[in-house]
Amino acid sequence: MDSSTPCLDFAVVGHQDSWKNIAAFVNSLRNKSQGDLSLEKIKNIFPFIPARDLFRVKVNSKTGATINGVYIDTFIEPDKLNTSYLRSNIKKVHDGIACAKKMGAKVVALGGFTSIVLEGNFDSLSTKNSKFTTGNTLTSAFIVKSIEKAAFQKNVDLKLSSVLIVGATGDIGMACVQYLKNRTHKLLLCARNEKQLKKLSDQLDDENIENDYSITLGDLIPKADIIICVASSNITEISNCKENVIISDAGYPKNLDSKVENNFDLIFHGGMGQVNFGFEFYPDYTDSFYQYPAPNIIHGCILEAMILAFENKYEDYSIGKGNISIDKIEEIYELGLKHGITVAPFYNSKGLIIN
Amino acid sequence: MEPLPKEHESLEKFNVISDLFSQAITGELIGMSNFASLAETIDDYTEKIEAVEHANSERMHAEVFLDYAKKTGLKTKINLKGEYWRNIREQFLSYAKKKDFIACLIIQEVILESFAVSMYTDVGTAIGGEAGRLFLAIADEEKEHLEHSTDILVSELKEDPEAFINKFEEIHFNCMTILAQFSATTDIRGHCGVCNGDCMKGSLHHVGLEIEKMRGNALSLYAKTLDNIGIPGEKSIVWIAQLPA
Repeated sequence: MDSSTPCLDFAVVGHQDSWKNIAAFVNSLRNKSQGDLSLEKIKNIFPFIPARDLFRVKVNSKTGATINGVYIDTFIEPDKLNTSYLRSNIKKVHDGIACAKKMGAKVVALGGFTSIVLEGNFDSLSTKNSKFTTGNTLTSAFIVKSIEKAAFQKNVDLKLSSVLIVGATGDIGMACVQYLKNRTHKLLLCARNEKQLKKLSDQLDDENIENDYSITLGDLIPKADIIICVASSNITEISNCKENVIISDAGYPKNLDSKVENNFDLIFHGGMGQVNFGFEFYPDYTDSFYQYPAPNIIHGCILEAMILAFENKYEDYSIGKGNISIDKIEEIYELGLKHGITVAPFYNSKGLIIN
Repeated sequence: MEPLPKEHESLEKFNVISDLFSQAITGELIGMSNFASLAETIDDYTEKIEAVEHANSERMHAEVFLDYAKKTGLKTKINLKGEYWRNIREQFLSYAKKKDFIACLIIQEVILESFAVSMYTDVGTAIGGEAGRLFLAIADEEKEHLEHSTDILVSELKEDPEAFINKFEEIHFNCMTILAQFSATTDIRGHCGVCNGDCMKGSLHHVGLEIEKMRGNALSLYAKTLDNIGIPGEKSIVWIAQLPA
């Protein structure tokens, strides 16, 4: 199969979240006789590589169907995901998108940072042959469903709980707000932009939803029974939590485990799903790209494109910002179940969490 | 001798620019020789004429660089027998002897021209002035060679993808390895035999250049050219990762 192979069911445009993974990947491509490249040398080359397909993926459904896709890396540097590098990163995302279109991918998920392109002006992206999604609807579904599951397992009544959403004004944060607003006692909203936070809070006030907001995380943490972080990269520490708080680390990168003091009941990586009927990579780079403590775990955003492909539902599914409805969350979640795609088991950087 | 242009007036800058011209002239002369050898591999007389024209174009580039160097008194050193350039030429000749036109095209017009276009652009932008404009103008002309070969190689890949990719892979490791060693932060195979004193890579900052960026940009253009030809990304990433650094 070469790069002109037509009609790929899906493509994923993404980036790596750590230099450790990148070094493992690059060195896995080298022969033993060539020896490993130092991280310094890898850093001198990696950012210059143009976006390209790295491996094919074959995914199996509960229905017996299979789909074929491709992973395209943008070669965005993991430590350059902030706004200072926005312009050069967006250029790399567009190169990745061009690659997906050239390969004839019917639906393209823009994972992680790359979704920023679809949250802005996406009109020029979609074509007759290639549709786009941020994958944020399924990511949101996995976050809220796993919170419900965690609350149930820990005998926590959501209706009596205050839920803190960090990154509440982002696309996924707003989706969590929509889903949880009538299922919890109170929503606590945190984000960097105070104006947007106030607007969101005012909207909730209009609906008589109890809420509080602050741009200072420390003001809200002591009041929260449950914390959902969809913007964890800016958090340096989570302290003064309530006893037995439940934390979903659904941001990027997922590194809250090391930043939380020890009185939590459960901290797990959120927004992740599991393909129960398996998938295979060609070439098999699972040792470098696959660093999860349970089999067949993938980010929700990627799984959304796979589900759309299984369903032959080739449309721009999650686009723009603030458009994710509860109906859409339920729809994509149900479609996932039909194909054996479920919320990932609870795990964090220390491994699987066994009850 | 005319006075040294203002932009060359510091000794460090003068030395680096001299070495940059030495490399460019040597590279152009290697290109000229390669195209001349390429002409011998071609049976079709129109393509033979084209190869000779390309050789002439590389000769003119070398002469333009030489004229400027002479005019400004740059201390250039031309050495076609230097470690890296000689090895590249030998690789080319090994395929020319086999009358392997496609292999010769890959070496000269993809591998060498990718590096030439990218590095001339970086040098021209950094040093500015008349010398900078010269590098940029020649980079533009070399770009045409790159595009010309891409069209031919796209058709060649379509005819027999597996055989073409295998051939390209062999040439990549035979030739790109030499260029990767040449452009590494330290001279992996020793002194190039072209620079006047020590390796100029450590002095590039005097003209606002860094070898890491120049090498990265050159590899980037090479990778994009492979993409344009139709080499699958999953292949070319392995080829690039296996290069010495």
